[in-house]
Amino acid sequence: MSWNRVAVVGAGLIKFGELFEQSYEQMAAGAFQAAVGSVDRGFDPSQVEAAFVATQRGSLWGQEGIAGNTVPSAIGLAGIACTRIENACPSGSDAFRVGAMAVASGVHDVVLVIGVEKMRDKSTEEGLLSRAAAGHPIFTRGETAPVLFAPFATRHMHEYGTTREMLAAVAVKNHYNGARDPFAHFQNEITIDDVIASPSVCHPLHLLDCCPQTDGAAATLLVSAERAGEFTDKPVYVAGFGVGTDHPYLHEKAAFTGLKATTLAAERAYEMAGVEPAQVDCAEVHDCFTITEILDIEDLGFVEKGKGGVASLDGETSLRGRIPVNTSGGLLAKGHPIGATGVAQLTECWWQLRGEAGDRQVETPNGYALQHNVGGRGSGVSVVNILTTNAP
Amino acid sequence: MTSPVRILSVGAAAPALRLPAAEVAAAWGRGPGARGQAGVCAPDEDVLTLAADAAGRALAASGLQNDIVDGLWWGTTRPPFAEGPSHAVLAAALGLSSHSAGALCSGSPHAGMEALLSAADAVAAGSARVALVVAADAVVPGPGTGYEARAGAGAAAMVLVSDGGQAALAARVTRTRPVLDRYRGDGESSTRDLYDSRLFRDQIFVPIVREVGEQLAALDVRAWSLPDPDGRLGGVVAKKLGTAVPASASAYGAVGDSGAAAALLGGVGALDAAGTVAMVGYGGGRATGVAVTADAPVRGAAVIADVLARGRPAGYAEALRSRRQLTPAGETVPMGVPPESASFVRGADEMLGLLGSRCVDCGTINTPPSIHPHCISCASTKFELVPLARQGVVHTFVVNHTMPAPFVAPLPLAVIDLVDGARVMLQVTGSGDGLEIGSTVDLVLRRYAHERGVPVYGFKAEATDSIAVEAP
Repeated sequence: MSWNRVAVVGAGLIKFGELFEQSYEQMAAGAFQAAVGSVDRGFDPSQVEAAFVATQRGSLWGQEGIAGNTVPSAIGLAGIACTRIENACPSGSDAFRVGAMAVASGVHDVVLVIGVEKMRDKSTEEGLLSRAAAGHPIFTRGETAPVLFAPFATRHMHEYGTTREMLAAVAVKNHYNGARDPFAHFQNEITIDDVIASPSVCHPLHLLDCCPQTDGAAATLLVSAERAGEFTDKPVYVAGFGVGTDHPYLHEKAAFTGLKATTLAAERAYEMAGVEPAQVDCAEVHDCFTITEILDIEDLGFVEKGKGGVASLDGETSLRGRIPVNTSGGLLAKGHPIGATGVAQLTECWWQLRGEAGDRQVETPNGYALQHNVGGRGSGVSVVNILTTNAP
Repeated sequence: MTSPVRILSVGAAAPALRLPAAEVAAAWGRGPGARGQAGVCAPDEDVLTLAADAAGRALAASGLQNDIVDGLWWGTTRPPFAEGPSHAVLAAALGLSSHSAGALCSGSPHAGMEALLSAADAVAAGSARVALVVAADAVVPGPGTGYEARAGAGAAAMVLVSDGGQAALAARVTRTRPVLDRYRGDGESSTRDLYDSRLFRDQIFVPIVREVGEQLAALDVRAWSLPDPDGRLGGVVAKKLGTAVPASASAYGAVGDSGAAAALLGGVGALDAAGTVAMVGYGGGRATGVAVTADAPVRGAAVIADVLARGRPAGYAEALRSRRQLTPAGETVPMGVPPESASFVRGADEMLGLLGSRCVDCGTINTPPSIHPHCISCASTKFELVPLARQGVVHTFVVNHTMPAPFVAPLPLAVIDLVDGARVMLQVTGSGDGLEIGSTVDLVLRRYAHERGVPVYGFKAEATDSIAVEAP
């Protein structure tokens, strides 16, 4: 495969949370300014040739028409090329992949990838929960987001002996990390008992097994690797990426112990990057629910299939563990503003690889960090991006 | 020259909930001493799902293939669509042929007898060789009315044939009188009674029911099904006819006054032995009596009492909510796919007929067919439509506790491996208590939604029926 190498020279986000006081446009501007401000040698915004915008929910009040033209105006770059990417929960990571391909193809030299999402401008009932009534009138009726993942928990517990404590350990670890991330929605530590005692949302998942609804925005600046030196001495490169899909309805899943879309995306990303799972130093993975992280670390090859629960309880994925996962607090603690999520995960990977992650910094001896999202109806689409400090 | 009208099999159904009369009395500050209970439909049940359950049992007991039924005659006081495809939806859900005939009788609790007589006429005339009769009702009383605690729900079904079976229709008599009795005005949602119960009893009910009953009493009647809308009138009429407690008392005790279903429901259980059963239906100013003479137990009759004996006690608030007399304030979340939209037209047969498309190349059953132009296993485009099996095993499940109105928690959902190898994901009836991986389930018709006055039906999973239908 022949492609021009791509460097990430800037990344940033705004503090995630319930940002009732900020508009969609203000959040976008904040993230863009943070990314611009992160460029070591300074960055003139007018250098951006094209932007790729990730926003998943264009249906919130007043945002029904979000398209490619919304963000350039908001960030002072009206007129530039801009395309909106909507690909379910991996929207942000897929926008990054598409932005990287725009540079890799040689069409563009400087690209902005920005994810922006307003989750709290609509009530919970009219927002995420309303999908209980969406989709197929019979086969998906009652299918809120937890219904897409809870059946995997039921089956994983049945087949592998995964326990409630193991699920809870994921939330405890990610809240611990979130308490050390100034951008996280939740910055408080919790206990296993807290998780198990929280109200049942969708058996077997409880409230603290679920990510919150969060507003947020994040941005990255991608340039051709040969021009990286204009911007920084510490470039981070795109090592590889992959997308995988699966049948969209739950009754079409061959198994409820893993997510096939993740496995396919990971295989493709590892092959493109030329790395093995064991070479990954840290990972930001899609933990919309605790069970999802357990499935992810198995599907991404960090632990053996069926051992994700035990590994989580044993601390293998903690900051000082064998493979630190979701050092930013993950979706569970940092939040899940859908379009922004993947871009914010990539920002965390960028910081970790540059040694700028503060209290939550981990060792990165191999120079590889992996970012992953999975989502859509029935976890039917997944994106994996791999970043590296190793020069191409 | 007419054919005889014989009964091949019978079936019955009761709703999931039982409202104790004491709950109703307590809600209105009435003193203790209220006795009895009434059947109430759960939020996912109605007259159509009750009819489907009862007719399904009668058909299973008949041993016939559903698609040889020539017609469906359905009686119910208020069909689920005020105007609409009530009859067609029920016929499709029962797997009847798209060529099947029949009629929907409605407008009063007399509708069940009208359905029976119409079906009998079709068999007698030779226009139907196999006629399916179902009487189903779910009475919606005005809150606080005197008969509220008695207003129940249930369904009974018969498979009529011109040849075979252990029983035959022996006699029929009808009397009419143009007076208001129990009624519902145009645009009203709940049923009303006459203002004076003695006016109703002395001038309307007892004279007409007694006259019909006396005509049938000339036969050697072994068991009676008599209308008993208030818990006393049935006994009054029985005494006038010189009989003891009517056989129908047990059905009334189990599910209350099941309206248009009451006459048949009170009588089909008595067909578990030889002899003549007289069934009297009343409503809308009309009374009809039918005598059925059995030479031997009729298929399906032996389990009727067990079917009616089930049910979960419900409180008054739950009963009101289930009857949609207690509704949440504010907006409810509308279906993403409105019932009047194209996808319901495309999906009508596959959803109500519960169809899958079986891949000719690899055997995988894809569901539903309309969203699978290519096989999910091998990408082939060669399929044959097949009806899905209606039994399966739970592969995995959840119980959803967090949904906006109109959803009601807890809502179990399960991925089910059907015995034919197909896999489906469906809602599960009830609260999910006791649901486990490996649980065996049956697929039953239930109401998934009721939106802008329109019901939406589909199949749900239910714990396997412990009451076996005796094989013919």
